[in-house]
Amino acid sequence: MNMKKMHPGKATQGIVYAIIAVIALVQIYPIIWVMLSSLKTPTELTNGLSYQLPKGIYFGNYARAFSQSNLLRYLLNSSVVAVVTIVVTIALGAPAAFAIEKLRFRGSGKVMSYLLLGLLVPSFAALLPLFEAFNKIGINNTYLALIIPQMAFNLPMCVYLYAGFMKDIPDSLLEAGWIDGASTWQVFTNIVLPLSRNTTVTVITYNFVFIWNEFVFANTFMTSPEMKTLPIGLNDFVGMFGQTDLGATYSAIVVSMIPTLILYFFLNKQVIAGMAAGAVK
Amino acid sequence: MRSALHLSKAEVSPRVSAKNHRQTRGGGAAWPYFMPAVVVFTIIVVVPILWTLVVSLFKWNGIGGMKFAGLANFQHMISDPVFRQAFVNNLIFTLLGTCAQMFGGLVMSLLLICIEHFRNFMRTVYFVPCVISSVAISQIFSQLLAVSPPGVFNSIIQAFGGQPHAFLSDPKLALVLVTLIDAYKFAGIYMVIYYAALQSVDQEVLEAALIDGCNWWQQLIYIRIPLIRAVVEVSMVMLVSGCLKGFDVSYVLTAGGPGSSSELVSTYLYKTIFLSGNFGYGSAISVFLAVECLVAIWILRKLFGKDE
Repeated sequence: MNMKKMHPGKATQGIVYAIIAVIALVQIYPIIWVMLSSLKTPTELTNGLSYQLPKGIYFGNYARAFSQSNLLRYLLNSSVVAVVTIVVTIALGAPAAFAIEKLRFRGSGKVMSYLLLGLLVPSFAALLPLFEAFNKIGINNTYLALIIPQMAFNLPMCVYLYAGFMKDIPDSLLEAGWIDGASTWQVFTNIVLPLSRNTTVTVITYNFVFIWNEFVFANTFMTSPEMKTLPIGLNDFVGMFGQTDLGATYSAIVVSMIPTLILYFFLNKQVIAGMAAGAVK
Repeated sequence: MRSALHLSKAEVSPRVSAKNHRQTRGGGAAWPYFMPAVVVFTIIVVVPILWTLVVSLFKWNGIGGMKFAGLANFQHMISDPVFRQAFVNNLIFTLLGTCAQMFGGLVMSLLLICIEHFRNFMRTVYFVPCVISSVAISQIFSQLLAVSPPGVFNSIIQAFGGQPHAFLSDPKLALVLVTLIDAYKFAGIYMVIYYAALQSVDQEVLEAALIDGCNWWQQLIYIRIPLIRAVVEVSMVMLVSGCLKGFDVSYVLTAGGPGSSSELVSTYLYKTIFLSGNFGYGSAISVFLAVECLVAIWILRKLFGKDE
């Protein structure tokens, strides 16, 4: 009886379910719509009404999207940048969090605050100097031009997430490791990192979503056609074919969404945890 | 629950403890772990920002020499009508965007805790737009709002006998649409945050209230919502700073237009630097934006009485 009262009454719940269904529909409709539209034939797209369902399943739009653009190349570029950036960010961020939270050297709080400044300032404030510097050393239009800034700007969140978790690892566990003769590095790699596995998954998914979708750096530093990432390639593609080939446009949009959607449906708990912990746009 | 490795403080001999103390708290052994991150962060984030600060004091188009101009760029900013509009737009974008996402998130999370089934499923569905790039979201909405061929909105208007409307070319609507589409993308994050907070409210407190004769709605209004106040405040800081930096949707969907009706500070500084090649002036706007973000967060912290 008690448990029942923890929820509102049956009638209220019915109304709530209905409202939730409507909001969910609004939330998801644009995405379903573009997926369905990408399966329409060119005649359906020009003659039919845009809210109608496709009559059959037609993959020709995808074939054209892939043949008329560098979509495959963009997919590769985005993947390389995402994977390398994530690996480097964790390689730098996890030890830093370990030092700040567990080695507790003098001034560790200050180091943390210094890194967290990165969450407050907009990346625009560093954009022009980075562009100029990358031009000077000749790495614009290389993967490095995206990996370097993304890694540095994602570092604060990575340290923040790891530090938050490591705070809860009991000190005695590490002390035991030291007593058994392990070096600090061994304590870090054999005790702290394995215990932080869930945080690592969170950091990976959070970073993947952000790096995959990043627009400003990619739009500025990757100007040559074959070095663009998916969002930038998509933007250019729409600029070129947006009015003339709707089907291919819809297909390109869907292709750009698929990787993060797949990741999300497999790891939605971690994605949600990561984004909620670091919802700094 | 103790692991085999576990030793309590008392079991550690003072000598070893002192050694560890020196090793760990003395700073000597810690620096190889945090210095790489600090160095990278300094070189790639902090130094460029300081350089932007320097450039903002010069007249410079990137090709010729830099001419020291003092605060001339900042003076120009005040009298530049496009900048002024971008600034006002940014404030509207931030205010409306923050409200929309906060209330949207709150309403969605409150609805979710009302129901008994499908909670996780709904949470997953609400969150989908957050994992899609703003370029894709912008392109989808650009098609949904299109005039020719009519997108879904105009098709429905026509089906009811209305005239199609070029939503995104309407100066009165462009900024509001940009704000709402950006809010649509991110509202799910705040739903998730509030939902987690509402869930973590102590069940015993709720049961105690129940025994005292509180019904579900009273629990919500007098216990649950006041208890998540801190979370709402933190999320507001994230929202305001996130919205002030807003860029993608405006740049991709309307390019700040029509005219400068949906221009934001960030899109204006981007165009000033990379399209007009006015490095000095663009840097001054960048500095303004960074200061604006810091001041906004400082004000919010003061308001909420946070002394962190």
